[in-house]
Amino acid sequence: MSDGFRDASHLPKQAGRNQADPDGLPRQRRGTTPQMHGRYPDLDILAFTSHWDGPTRTLILDRVENPPPFRFFDAAEVETLKAFCDTVMHQTREPRIPVLAYVDEKLHTGRLDGYQYADMPDDRETWRLLARALDEEARARGGDAFGRVPEELRLEICGHLADDEVEGGTWEQIPRAFQVAMRAILAAFYSHPWAWNEIGFPGPAYPRGYMRLGIDQHEEWTEDEAFAVDPVGDVKERGLE
Amino acid sequence: MKGAGLVLKGSLRPKDNDSAFLLDPHRRGVPNRERMQRHRDGDEVDLVIVGCGAGGSVLAQRLGRAGWRVVVLEKGPFWDPDEDWVSDEEGAHALYWNEKRIVGGEDPVEMGKNNSGHGVGGSMAHFAGYAPRFHPSDFEVRTRDGVGADWPISYWDLKASFERVERELPVAGQHWPWGDPHGYPHGPHPITGAAERAWEGARACGIRMRVGPVAITNGVFGNRPHCIYRGFCLQGCKVNAKASPLVTHVPDAIEHGVEIRTNSMAVRIEIDGTGRCTGVTYVREGREHHQRAALVAVAGYSIETPRLLLNSTSARYPHGLANNDDQVGRYVMVQGAPQVAGRFPERLSMYKGPPPEISSEDFYETDESRGFARGFSLQSVGPLPIGWAEHVRGDGHWGAALREYMRDYNHWAVVGCLAELLPLPDNRVTLADETDHNGLPIARFDYTQCDNDRANIAYAKRVMNDVWSAAGAQDTLTIDRYAHLVGGARMGTSPEESVVDSDHRAWGVPNLLVADGSVMPTQSAANPALAIMALADRLAARLLAKRVEDGRPRPPRTGLVAVLEGGGA
Repeated sequence: MSDGFRDASHLPKQAGRNQADPDGLPRQRRGTTPQMHGRYPDLDILAFTSHWDGPTRTLILDRVENPPPFRFFDAAEVETLKAFCDTVMHQTREPRIPVLAYVDEKLHTGRLDGYQYADMPDDRETWRLLARALDEEARARGGDAFGRVPEELRLEICGHLADDEVEGGTWEQIPRAFQVAMRAILAAFYSHPWAWNEIGFPGPAYPRGYMRLGIDQHEEWTEDEAFAVDPVGDVKERGLE
Repeated sequence: MKGAGLVLKGSLRPKDNDSAFLLDPHRRGVPNRERMQRHRDGDEVDLVIVGCGAGGSVLAQRLGRAGWRVVVLEKGPFWDPDEDWVSDEEGAHALYWNEKRIVGGEDPVEMGKNNSGHGVGGSMAHFAGYAPRFHPSDFEVRTRDGVGADWPISYWDLKASFERVERELPVAGQHWPWGDPHGYPHGPHPITGAAERAWEGARACGIRMRVGPVAITNGVFGNRPHCIYRGFCLQGCKVNAKASPLVTHVPDAIEHGVEIRTNSMAVRIEIDGTGRCTGVTYVREGREHHQRAALVAVAGYSIETPRLLLNSTSARYPHGLANNDDQVGRYVMVQGAPQVAGRFPERLSMYKGPPPEISSEDFYETDESRGFARGFSLQSVGPLPIGWAEHVRGDGHWGAALREYMRDYNHWAVVGCLAELLPLPDNRVTLADETDHNGLPIARFDYTQCDNDRANIAYAKRVMNDVWSAAGAQDTLTIDRYAHLVGGARMGTSPEESVVDSDHRAWGVPNLLVADGSVMPTQSAANPALAIMALADRLAARLLAKRVEDGRPRPPRTGLVAVLEGGGA
């Protein structure tokens, strides 16, 4: 990858495969990313908190430091839905962003999004039915509850769900379950500073703002993309090891 | 600037609106709230307005200045951007109307953060900031194109209002060559690398682009500061650089005796034996109140305005107020707003700068060679991570592929379109069986596209893909979506096909007005905020010129008298 990420051949539609090779991704050196790989190995958003306004700092630090306890889902639902969230977000190992904990809090406090599809139940009911449908599907395919079947089977079931190819049983009550669930999952995952470290988003920008807006420009406090530099030489040069 | 004798640039002070000067330069939020006039429910005020968004605030500010006693009922809170707003996507949740609506039809429309506001400022608190004018053609779509409807007023009836509101926001941008060509009070903002890439592609396709028009200060404007390009316009501007009624009209309204009563959900408009409105019943802190008023203006936007009218049933109006001809809630419109992202070798960091940067209205009007009526505008946008994740998901990705496109965030730029979708009678708001915590039936919104709509959206997507291909994009990702709401209580020339007349007066209810985007008979391909404010500005002028009945005659009061009277009460 001498050209680093200026080339687009690593992208799923061009590479003809679903996934980047995690071993080909840089390891995180500072801060945390989900699964500890990302494009910006020295980016640590949580080192910037002194540049944020008070209410924003309070909110985001609380989000990171105090993942909410489960109050909406029961233990069996948690096992199933945690596995579902990890599968659709490809969280294969620790550290994981605790996506389901944030979803649970939203549902528990009724902090919903302002609409319900006419052919769907309330979001809270949808999530419970999704847990039931996932377990039914996993059992029907010769397995156990969804959270206890091998990753390949979980991927297969999620693939059918994403392609709208699941039917029968509980699925009939929740035709847009994937859409509803992904909305909450993506909001939980990409509101977490660990995800911002992974993708190179500098997070809150008030009151600091930005001044270098142009192509290939970045602020002096944001980081280069890993493969724009030679990581071996870079580590030595900066005395990071 | 053809024919313009004056160069209207820089810090032009609006003649009749001191909002920008009433703000505190070192603190956001409205400073004069503690001095706000208070009315008692039992006092009959001159006007009660339901909703403190783009329409309601402008109407309140204008009439307050003229000495009217005005109460605005707002369901949400009075925001203090310093304390209540955060520089965070998920943390902006409270800015949206999050109470449930049922969405149906073949092409259901997502509500909430997509198009619905809550609190003083309405959805302009979280709008991107694009503030284009409608074109003259928008007002005569039926005559020119044989589709949709004609408005009972023309562009020229609104032109002075557009200009007045542009100066108050103020709007920044290059000279505008489309529609009725015009300039803007503030010059164009600098643009980001992401917008540069989109512009290069447009140029190669022969598409004209211009910077703006955005309602974001680009220079001195009272006590509002310059933009800091942090990119969080959709999360509420903590800087006070982006316009919303909270900073553009509410401070002046309060200074002139308007009362804005927050956390007050209007549940019913009351009627007397003669069929006139007597005021509005609302719920505050769990208790029902009734504010008496000589004149009632509903400004709750395209879902809540029809819902309130439909819920205001009586023996006289068993199907709801102003609904004798089954027109309330019909012809609700959204814009087809697919977005296409292009991938480039360089880092473009599309999170920087206001999401609205450059736009084109080259495709705005009908071109018969395209095979459909009306058209679309093109605009650059800059989604933050959750928005970008929804975009990647919209192209069909999840799991490892989604994570990989997300890691690639900094290499992408996005353009979107606003395709004018046609007004259809069955795209409507009705009452659902389900009720809210006040026991009030909630709204159901059904939406289905017609063939012209589908052809328009498909064409716009091809143009956006052409732009990226001409710019040399290495890959593209597309999401289908909608933006904005208008219609639902449209203005027209007869009660059989509209809800209000050209003066916003409900057919058959002499002292009931509708003063928001729901009066629009067509959608246009422009963002609606400026036009909603301009309509309210025109309505206020008509009321003050006594062209519209204002309830009953009263001696005019000055703002000072009103304040003093309130202080002594």
